[in-house]
Amino acid sequence: MTDRPVEDRLFELVGYMVTSARNLLDETPLYGPFRLVDAASRLVSILETQGLASGRLLAMQGAIDAGKYSVMREESEFAGYLDGLVDKLIDHAIGDGGDV
Amino acid sequence: MELWEAIKGRRSVRSFTAEPVSREVLERLLEAAIWAPSGGNAQTWRFTVIDDLETIRRVKLVSPGLLGDPTAVIAICQDVPKARAAGGALGETTLAPIDAAMATQNLLLAAHAEGLGTCTIASFHHKGITRLLRLPEGVEPVLLVSVGWPAEVPAAPVRRRDGVFHFGGRA
Repeated sequence: MTDRPVEDRLFELVGYMVTSARNLLDETPLYGPFRLVDAASRLVSILETQGLASGRLLAMQGAIDAGKYSVMREESEFAGYLDGLVDKLIDHAIGDGGDV
Repeated sequence: MELWEAIKGRRSVRSFTAEPVSREVLERLLEAAIWAPSGGNAQTWRFTVIDDLETIRRVKLVSPGLLGDPTAVIAICQDVPKARAAGGALGETTLAPIDAAMATQNLLLAAHAEGLGTCTIASFHHKGITRLLRLPEGVEPVLLVSVGWPAEVPAAPVRRRDGVFHFGGRA
C-alpha cells in the first residue's frame, strides 16, 4: 500500500484528526490522548513512505503501537504506558535511545 | 462452533490481512444479524455493506474509531420513522438502538465462527456516514462493524465480576 499518493495519506490523517476533534466533544475523555498518539504513529507511517522517518521516529512509533490499545483496558495501565512514551521520548532526545 | 467457544473466543480485532471477504460470507453474517430479537418484532434495522476499498477509505475519514484496514465494513442502521411508527417514542429511542446492538452481536458471533475478525465502532460522524453512504431518508447509522480476516488477535481483557452480578430477592 506504499504506492498510494502521499497526499491521499495526508488527507486521511487530516480527516482522522478533524473527525476526532468533533467526536471527542461527545466521547470518553480517554480517547483524546489515544487519538493523539495514534495520529503521531500515522504521521510516522506517512513519513516512512517518503523515506523521511528516522530511527528514533520509528522507535517512537513502535512504542506507541505496542501499547496504544491499553486504552481499552485500564486507565491506570494506559496512563503508565503514556508515561513510558514520554520517558522514551526523552531517552531519544538526549541520546540514550539510539538514533538521534 | 460451540456456543461458549464463540462467546468467549470473540475479540475486537483491529488488524486485518488484505484478503477480501466474499459476498457469500458477508450474506451469512447478515442472515445471522436478522435472527436477533427485535422489540415488538419491529425489524426496522437496515444493513449497508461496504466492501470496496475506496469507499472504506472514505468511511475511515469520518470514523476515528475504525482502526486498521478491514476489507469490509457493515453499517448497522435503523429506519427511524418506521421504528417510531412501530413502537412510538420507546421504539425510536430505546428499542431501535437495542435491536441494532443485538443484531450486531449475532453478526459478530457469526463472523467469529467463520474465522473472521470484527470490531464494533460507535466513534464515527453520523451525518458524515449518512452522506457518504447515501443512506435513504430516515435511515440512520447506529454502529459500524469492521470485518476482515484477522492478522492479529488481541488477548482477552479481564472480565470484571465484583459487584456486577446480583441475584434479586426480598427487600
